[in-house]
Amino acid sequence: MEDLTFLVEFDGKDLEAKKGQTILEAAREKDIFIPSICHHPNLGPIQTCDTCYVNVNGDLVRSCATRLEPGMKIDTSSTLVKDAQNEAMDRILKNHELYCTVCDNNNGNCTIHNTVELMGVEHQKYPFTAKPYPPDNSHPFYRYEPDQCILCGRCVEACQDLQVNETLTIDWNREVPRVIWDHDVPIDQSSCVSCGHCVSVCPCNALMEKSMLGNAGYLTGIPPKILGPMIELTKEVEPGYQEIFAISEVEASMRRARTKRTKTVCTYCGVGCTFEVWTKDREILKIQTHTEAPVNGISTCVKGKWGWDFVNSEMRLTKPLIRKGTEFIEATWEEALGLIADKLRLIKRKYGPNSIGYIASSKCSNEENFLFQKFARAVMGTNNVDNCSRYCQSPATAGLLRTVGIGGDSGTIEDIMNSDLIIIVGANPAESHPVLATRIKRAHKLFGQKLLVADLRENELAQRADLHIHPKPSTDLIWISAVTKYILDQGWEAKEFLQNRVNGFEKYKASLEKFTLEYAEEMTGLTKDELIKIAQMIHDAKTACILWAMGVTQHKGATDTSTAIANLLLMTGNFGRSGTGAYPLRGHNNVQGACDFGTMPTWMPGYEPVQDHEVREKYENAWGVKLPEEPGLDNHHMVEGMDKGKLKALYLFGEDMSLVDANSNHVDAAFEKLEFFVVQDMFFSKTAQFADVVLPAAPSLEKDGTFTNTERRIQRFYKVFEPLGDSKSDWEIFQELANRLGANWNYQHPSEIMAEAASLANMFAGVSYDRLEEWNSQLWPVLKDGTSTPLLYKERFGLPDGKARLFPVDWTPPFEAGEEFNLHLNNGRLLEHFHEGNMTYRSEGLTHKVPHPWLEVSLELAKERGVQDGSLVELTSPYGEVKVRVIVTDRVKGNELYLTMNTSEDIEAVNRLTSSYHDIITHTPAYKETGVKMEVLELEGESPLPKHNHRFGNRIPQLSVKVEEKWKRSDFTPIPEILNVRGDDYGEGYHTN
Amino acid sequence: MAKAITQIRKEIPNQKEEQTEAIEKVLQELGKNSEAIIQTIQILKELHDTKILETVHAILKQRTEIGAIAIHQVNQPTMRNIIKNGMNTIEFLGTLKPGQLNTILDGVGHGLERLSETGEKGEKQSLWKLRKRLWSPEIRAAMTTMVDFMDGLGEVFLRNRKESH
Repeated sequence: MEDLTFLVEFDGKDLEAKKGQTILEAAREKDIFIPSICHHPNLGPIQTCDTCYVNVNGDLVRSCATRLEPGMKIDTSSTLVKDAQNEAMDRILKNHELYCTVCDNNNGNCTIHNTVELMGVEHQKYPFTAKPYPPDNSHPFYRYEPDQCILCGRCVEACQDLQVNETLTIDWNREVPRVIWDHDVPIDQSSCVSCGHCVSVCPCNALMEKSMLGNAGYLTGIPPKILGPMIELTKEVEPGYQEIFAISEVEASMRRARTKRTKTVCTYCGVGCTFEVWTKDREILKIQTHTEAPVNGISTCVKGKWGWDFVNSEMRLTKPLIRKGTEFIEATWEEALGLIADKLRLIKRKYGPNSIGYIASSKCSNEENFLFQKFARAVMGTNNVDNCSRYCQSPATAGLLRTVGIGGDSGTIEDIMNSDLIIIVGANPAESHPVLATRIKRAHKLFGQKLLVADLRENELAQRADLHIHPKPSTDLIWISAVTKYILDQGWEAKEFLQNRVNGFEKYKASLEKFTLEYAEEMTGLTKDELIKIAQMIHDAKTACILWAMGVTQHKGATDTSTAIANLLLMTGNFGRSGTGAYPLRGHNNVQGACDFGTMPTWMPGYEPVQDHEVREKYENAWGVKLPEEPGLDNHHMVEGMDKGKLKALYLFGEDMSLVDANSNHVDAAFEKLEFFVVQDMFFSKTAQFADVVLPAAPSLEKDGTFTNTERRIQRFYKVFEPLGDSKSDWEIFQELANRLGANWNYQHPSEIMAEAASLANMFAGVSYDRLEEWNSQLWPVLKDGTSTPLLYKERFGLPDGKARLFPVDWTPPFEAGEEFNLHLNNGRLLEHFHEGNMTYRSEGLTHKVPHPWLEVSLELAKERGVQDGSLVELTSPYGEVKVRVIVTDRVKGNELYLTMNTSEDIEAVNRLTSSYHDIITHTPAYKETGVKMEVLELEGESPLPKHNHRFGNRIPQLSVKVEEKWKRSDFTPIPEILNVRGDDYGEGYHTN
Repeated sequence: MAKAITQIRKEIPNQKEEQTEAIEKVLQELGKNSEAIIQTIQILKELHDTKILETVHAILKQRTEIGAIAIHQVNQPTMRNIIKNGMNTIEFLGTLKPGQLNTILDGVGHGLERLSETGEKGEKQSLWKLRKRLWSPEIRAAMTTMVDFMDGLGEVFLRNRKESH
């Protein structure tokens, strides 16, 4: 085996180093101080700051970019080294005015402040010189102050190579270099997606959150009129920086008494980003990322970084509401819960326990979902409990349960990053799972990962892909099966893997007979060449992952298509190794957890079947009740039950079903038929309009709990604020209601609920709040001793004999609305808004970026119908109509339209058009099988998407910050040259990234 | 048969209730701390009578303008010197060893005592007598110390001259 460690000498002492480590990395690990400003653990060496010079065998080299070699002698502390480091810092301080005490970034984590202090710098050699550029305040969320910018390039590196949005560069060729956005346009008008990476990595206050400015410190609100002379005075009389730092540190520690920092888990998608929320009373100062965050590190998207204003919105519900006649009247909890308990008791007695339905929330915590299903089952005696995964992910789960036995992602985001080939089918991660998309973009840009995207729309990842295919709508199963058959025909299948680990080969092989290339070409519109190319790419890749989402799961044949994906991965041996597997991308923050913790009509927590006698007995013993034996109704069944008058009452929390369920008109009509309806939400949602009682609930920032992300990773979030007004945590509401109905529960904290779930569901045996402290996380299945399972199927699959199962499937033709509805309507989420936007529209900045929904029309169709950006059109399906404004774009082709879903207005909402047709197995609505006709109402109008949206920007892709251009400048003298020693300055740029 | 409705009747009396509740809280605190409050009111009355409150109020209202004037005044060469000299003096005191300083100050004190005695008596001594006194161990100790002091002073003068060239 290769020796991975060796000895090196640091300042005369022998130390052990790891192969591949840089000098700086090793020094940090061993607590040897080497200054560094531009280096960031998530970004790697950038080589712009020059503060990390050390002496190796007589040469001055940058320690961030020099890898250790056996026997290396490193001097980090001689006068020569100190002189070099001080010269570098002097050059930095020429670009950055030190006014720490009155700086909003003086929070104990300013890289420049801390480094200057640790270096013991007393005075600077070159006086500070302002740059000839004003600050850029154009963006709603952050500002750039060139005068404070040291041109370290961290922001550029983060934008180019970590987020890979490719907006920021440093223009080294102008007289005074600066960071520029696109071709030097105001930030707000650039291609910036407002992800916040640049602000998070800035080592000083050059890039700062506007919410911090003049607000974070005790003295930072001083008006410029006073601040300017104050800084001048301080500099004039300064005794030396160390004394000044003493004062700024006192101020920073005073801030800590006032600024609260609380870890939370983002609620805007299934990626599961974690970060700190910095608050001052009820005001959010900023979202602060951390390198320790297991999924995202320092990455965020626009919603996670900025989208939390809703918490303090005046529109929040703060008191229970009770319907009286034609209006809602504010009530006390006593009145509201009393009424609900009476009504539910009465309806249960009159019509039986199965006459009431319970709809849970994939936005709420694991503990809340656990408690809600316990309430439905143990207190109310029914399995009629479901959650919104029915609208999105149930087919993926079902497809995986059929084939590999576990309904979750096979591995982690690490596996996705490590894969040779990423295949994305019917998903738009750059908008719906932005941070996960950054990892794919990075691997693709820097590490040679191949990317194949199958989608109707040319979304961002499709634009970046090595191959983007555009099959006819609803034909994914066909091309996937045809590619699998071609691989088999070529003898490229993973023979050994199939023999040892997979059942059902022969039967499956026979089922592939019809999926010839010719058949696939005819049905999908893809060419044979394309199909062969796909097969070849999979064959060439040592490891492949398939990622999919609503483009697959919202069809009549959704479960079967998901099954076909798993079959393809099994045939090619792409399970159980790092870099392989099936990844249904969970849409909401806790879709995975809501299902895992039992808000499903057929499953108890941990996917243990309701119908299994032993499973029920386990819960019956623990809860001291008799549990219902038969599976309950799912969401779809419940709507049908309401429509037919069989379901009399509904209790729904954290879900705007009236907008998100398909065929809204039908759903609304069903709500109207209910005898009693309880809605629990933060806001007075569209669904709440139908309720008899509306209960005000608290969002994640106002409670404790855990969420489970798409990787099956369980993470804790902590209470930041007390619930607003009289609102309460969902779990507290359930408990109070359950106790009114005789439950006698006494949970003091969500940790007790998790402990109960862990003691009952095998999958969570070792899950506990103690093991989930701060940045720690656990990936289920979790063994009793707390061991997680990041990568599934390493040794066995999740089916009884440990082997996977090839599951033959056939194609289901999509729902066709009829000849007159000949335009295909696609729909989906947006980067800037969460669903209909009832949270994100509370943010002024997000609304500034995206104020309205829009309809994407292809260039061809626009020409044919004579529409342009801003035209108002009416779309009609057999189920309803909407009126929306148009954006003409080549992202969509031919007769395919795309309607965004960021609206709460009936007249714009896509689900006024969708049908009640659904996946034949799981009843997930076939949202993506919608036919419409389009009529032009107004030819001219204001564009629904403002010009200051990133979609109109112009990216400037490049690798890193191009430090070589800095080195070529005539005013740049390499530091070793000044000190008359040999150095590495004329070396090549060192992009480990 | 529940149709969608959007009308919400907020309990308007709540605002009044909230206000009453808030006032009640304040009254409770007042009751608990009556002595301190009464004394504070007296102080306020004095401040009011002497127009100090009025002045402070005006300063607070015009804080930005006044602050700008103040900082402008402070930011003058003389003030800068005062601050700088102040800080230098503090720094200088920090470098002195307390034992040494004690001896010097003791000596100076004792010397002053003698000086005042001589002053009071007003007697003049002949040069011969003075010359004779130079031989005394006390005078020699003082002279040596002064010469050493001048030596150190000169060293720094020369070093600073060199640095500034």
